Amino acid sequence: MTTSTDPNSPLSLALAQLRGAADLEALKALERDLLGKSGPAGQILASIPTLPPEERKSAGARANEIKRALEEALSARKRELEDVALAAERTGGDFDATLPPAPLERGGLHPVTRVVRDLEDLFTSMGYTILDGPEVELDWYNFEALNIPKDHPARDAQDTFYCDPEGRVVLRTHTSPVQIRAMERMKPPFRAIVPGKVFRNEAVDASHEHTFHQMEGLVVGKDVSVGHLIGAMKTLLRGVFGKDIEIRLRPGYFPFVEPGFELDARCPFCSTGCRVCKQSTWIELLPCGMVHPNVLKSGGIDPEQWTGFAFGLGLSRLVMLRYGIDDVRHLLSGDLRFLEQF
Amino acid sequence: MKISTRWLGRHVDLTGISPKQIAEALTIHTAEVEGLEPFLPHLGKVVVGHVLSREKHPDADKLGVCQVDVGDGTTRQIVCGAANVAGGQRVAVALPGVELPGDFKIKVSKIRGVESQGMICSERELGLGDEHAGIWVLPESVAIGKPVALVLGLDDWVIEIDNKSLTHRPDLWGHRGVGIEVAALFGRELKRLDTSLPANASGPVFPVRIESASCSRYVALPIDGVSPRRSPDWLRALLFAVGQRPIDLLVDLSNFVMLDIGQPNHVFDRNALSKDGIVVRDARPGERMKTLDGVERALVPSDMLICSGDAPVALAGVMGGEGSKVAEGTRSLLLEVATFQPAVVRRTSQRLALRTDSSARFEKNLDPTLPMQAAGHFVRLLREIEPGATLPCPPTDVGPWRDPARTLQVRPERVRQLLGDDVPDDEVAGILTRLGFGVEKQGTVLAVRVPSARATKDVTIEQDLVEEVGRTRGYARIPERALVADIAPPKRDEGWNRRMLARALQDRLAGGARFRETISYSFVADDLLAKLGDENEPHVRVINSGVEGASRIRRSVMPSLLGLLEPNRRRRDTVALFEVGKGYVPECSSPKGEPAEVHELGIVLAAAATKDARFDATSLARLRASALDAVRAAGFAQVVERPLTAEDAPRWAHPVRGVTLHVGDARVGFVAELEPRLRRALGLVGDVDSDAAAALISLDALLNAERKPAAFRSLPKFPGVKVDVAVLVPATVRSGDLAAALEKSGKGLVEGVELFDLYAGGSVEAGKKSLAFHVRLLAADRTLTEEDVQKYLSRVERAVGELGGAVRKA
Ligand SMILES: [Zn+2]
Repeated sequence: MTTSTDPNSPLSLALAQLRGAADLEALKALERDLLGKSGPAGQILASIPTLPPEERKSAGARANEIKRALEEALSARKRELEDVALAAERTGGDFDATLPPAPLERGGLHPVTRVVRDLEDLFTSMGYTILDGPEVELDWYNFEALNIPKDHPARDAQDTFYCDPEGRVVLRTHTSPVQIRAMERMKPPFRAIVPGKVFRNEAVDASHEHTFHQMEGLVVGKDVSVGHLIGAMKTLLRGVFGKDIEIRLRPGYFPFVEPGFELDARCPFCSTGCRVCKQSTWIELLPCGMVHPNVLKSGGIDPEQWTGFAFGLGLSRLVMLRYGIDDVRHLLSGDLRFLEQF
Repeated sequence: MKISTRWLGRHVDLTGISPKQIAEALTIHTAEVEGLEPFLPHLGKVVVGHVLSREKHPDADKLGVCQVDVGDGTTRQIVCGAANVAGGQRVAVALPGVELPGDFKIKVSKIRGVESQGMICSERELGLGDEHAGIWVLPESVAIGKPVALVLGLDDWVIEIDNKSLTHRPDLWGHRGVGIEVAALFGRELKRLDTSLPANASGPVFPVRIESASCSRYVALPIDGVSPRRSPDWLRALLFAVGQRPIDLLVDLSNFVMLDIGQPNHVFDRNALSKDGIVVRDARPGERMKTLDGVERALVPSDMLICSGDAPVALAGVMGGEGSKVAEGTRSLLLEVATFQPAVVRRTSQRLALRTDSSARFEKNLDPTLPMQAAGHFVRLLREIEPGATLPCPPTDVGPWRDPARTLQVRPERVRQLLGDDVPDDEVAGILTRLGFGVEKQGTVLAVRVPSARATKDVTIEQDLVEEVGRTRGYARIPERALVADIAPPKRDEGWNRRMLARALQDRLAGGARFRETISYSFVADDLLAKLGDENEPHVRVINSGVEGASRIRRSVMPSLLGLLEPNRRRRDTVALFEVGKGYVPECSSPKGEPAEVHELGIVLAAAATKDARFDATSLARLRASALDAVRAAGFAQVVERPLTAEDAPRWAHPVRGVTLHVGDARVGFVAELEPRLRRALGLVGDVDSDAAAALISLDALLNAERKPAAFRSLPKFPGVKVDVAVLVPATVRSGDLAAALEKSGKGLVEGVELFDLYAGGSVEAGKKSLAFHVRLLAADRTLTEEDVQKYLSRVERAVGELGGAVRKA
């Protein structure tokens, strides 16, 4: 096979052309030219009928040999060029990661809804029923049945919105009236939480609102004790803050519990004092206590048979703590600049 | 309430206990401590000086130049403008470097050319009241160079207790009560306090008559040989520390007794009182009196009056009157100490917005045994200062009061059960004894004698004593316990269903449809109701609303959402909001007076109005799609729209451009453009002109409707064909009728019809519109052929022709 080493043979020229193809497109054009009928192998094949019969066989073999050589060269060059193209693509070209993507319109749930759902799911998993109660409430449920008779000084602190001159109907000042409604509907033992809106007739500023959210909790059972209350509150805080939080109970006076407590939680945001805890490392988190026997009686439950605890979580405050919201008035403002942040 | 630790020291030996420890113990065991501060800390730096000499200032007649010994071996020259400064006096000197109240820092200075190395202070300059007629002249006995605070007993700490946390503890409204608490908490002995009344002469008693049912006890004690002079410094210092301004000995003592044992009392100038004596009666309609603060008060019959003869001299339990107050010439007193019904005092003080130290205490249900103790305490204190004071007659003591002290049974077992901790019987008994309860063991129970001071309201049942034990031991000692009970999945009741429905709607709207959830006030603004034309609808009304411009509670969530459109449109091109909330309908109230509660989903969508909006991009179209999708996703796949009729349309809705939503037989909601007049009234004009639509869906109606989740259909076995049909029809032909015709023409082969273009105007002749549909044809049993399609199209041509239009050939 001397022709294969002859640099001017048709095969050598064709191989050189293939090896020198600049890109995949040029290679495709060469493939058409060199591997087709007019290529070196094609020409030999076309000439076969004109050859003497004894030469025809070797010419055919020769044509196949050339074709195989060209095909090898073609695929080798193709691989080379593909590698180059991949390498070029991998450089990323003019990609600019700081160019923002086309904006996606987003909807979203209100932050109060988000926190309420978390708490509902947490408490449901612990066997609590979730209850709802009316915002426009009877004085009986809001006060009387909760051991807060007329002229009780505790009514002062509540700044009640009254809906009639006789004071029979009020905007509920807390979610506690649902305690009585729960006792009327459910037989002990039971556990329930009640998220909802409450109302106080007070001057509005960054930390006070006339309308805000609370969540009541009520557990009634056999031998339910302060120890159980402590356990339940620690579980609650673990669910809310995702870690164990130290708590302390202080005496607190609420007519519908006895004993009543203020529950303080170790500030989850600092260890030595910060703005949130007013440098005290404790956050006054929620009032709670053992259900007053008179309240159990109002709800038709025998306090000798059953005991219970109740707590009132300031939901709006918890939402503000979780998201670092500095002004309670944003919560119910309906301002998209606020709502769009969640 | 402010508690002075120095004052507290009169009742319990606090040696070795820091003010901080007291505050912490009270916080953990008793009541909420709001503050702990040293009393006028600069008084620890102001020292006693001895004025050696005073000479006239060479250049100013009114100024004196004093040489003052401040006990450090040097003599200071101090220029002083007070007229009463004189050689030989002991005075309070603020040396350079000392800071006085009001950011006033003392420096060496030149006054009219004469150097002054400090300041001789008046009481006011030191923060001790308003005495500023001259410098404060101290007693001769005080040691030169020592801090004024130390020699005068002004080194003190003030503990401020949150009044709200004392609502149920009338016994803690005085230092004595807090002292009992502190003694019990720290295991200290309580100091004895003699409050018995000293011997009196046997003159005729002062006449008192109780005509009001609201006064249960009235003690009147005449005292002679008194004068309203300046109180001794120790007394003034204690009053100052707790924020009381000293006035004169008699008023100061009256205040001191109240702040010491918690019993308000009043001193009258007896000579200003009628010889007929005191009458306690209810006010008469239209009666008026001028109280001590100089204000003329209009009274009502629920107010109780202390009268001299018939003339009111005090508003019982709240404030004394102008006429009979102690004055310079007073030499004989009538001390009044009474017990009033808490509710009466509370109502009067609330109505007149007149909250006084006295009313705050009476409201709490005071121990009725206190009045005689207070009288004795007053007289004994007075005698120490004014030995010449005498009691010309026995006290008058009238009224139907009874000692509230009672005995309660306490089961130590119940204490352990409620606290959830193993408290031994002895510890229960020990704690109660330390707190002043009498304890006697009777078998397995303790008979606990509740002293009158705790028995008026605070401690009335066994559980109250459980609290006493729990708090005194400290709740921190109670071990945490886990609740144990059978856990059943929550009941799928109405509340559960409503919550799940709300969640499904919220998730779909916030997620897929990209609306923002909001939560609004239940109050609805008056002007918004007027714009809606809803101002005459019955609403739950709040009669004492402090909310500006709103006194009504919404009947529906819709007004709340509509009110948010304009302000948000000012900031955003598109406003897409929804709320799941409640409304109250008072005309459907329960017999007990509870207004009916409705649960609704409201959705609003407002976008900048554009002239050539695509047919499917109007707010109404988008909102319809979102509302349908949300209701379907919530489990009501069968929800359908029907055209809105003018008589059904709510006030906010355009009478024509809208639909009603139906699930089965029930109408569950509306979706409509805003009524045009309302849109303008809401301010959606000019810059914020909007294409605005709203939807209102009743959760209550949905909950009553049958839930039909999406039904599965077998996947097609043969390929279908997509055909586009474009038609030109009169503008009056309804899209739904066309779609129905396209479907009917398929004779069961049409799987879906979808409008993808609607065009009118431009090249389309007037009065006509062009619509284009994608139609999907599918047969269950074979592959469709070109022939099937041609047959379909010719049927379509006929059907469209019947509607007065024509199919447009491509
Ligand atoms: Zn902190």
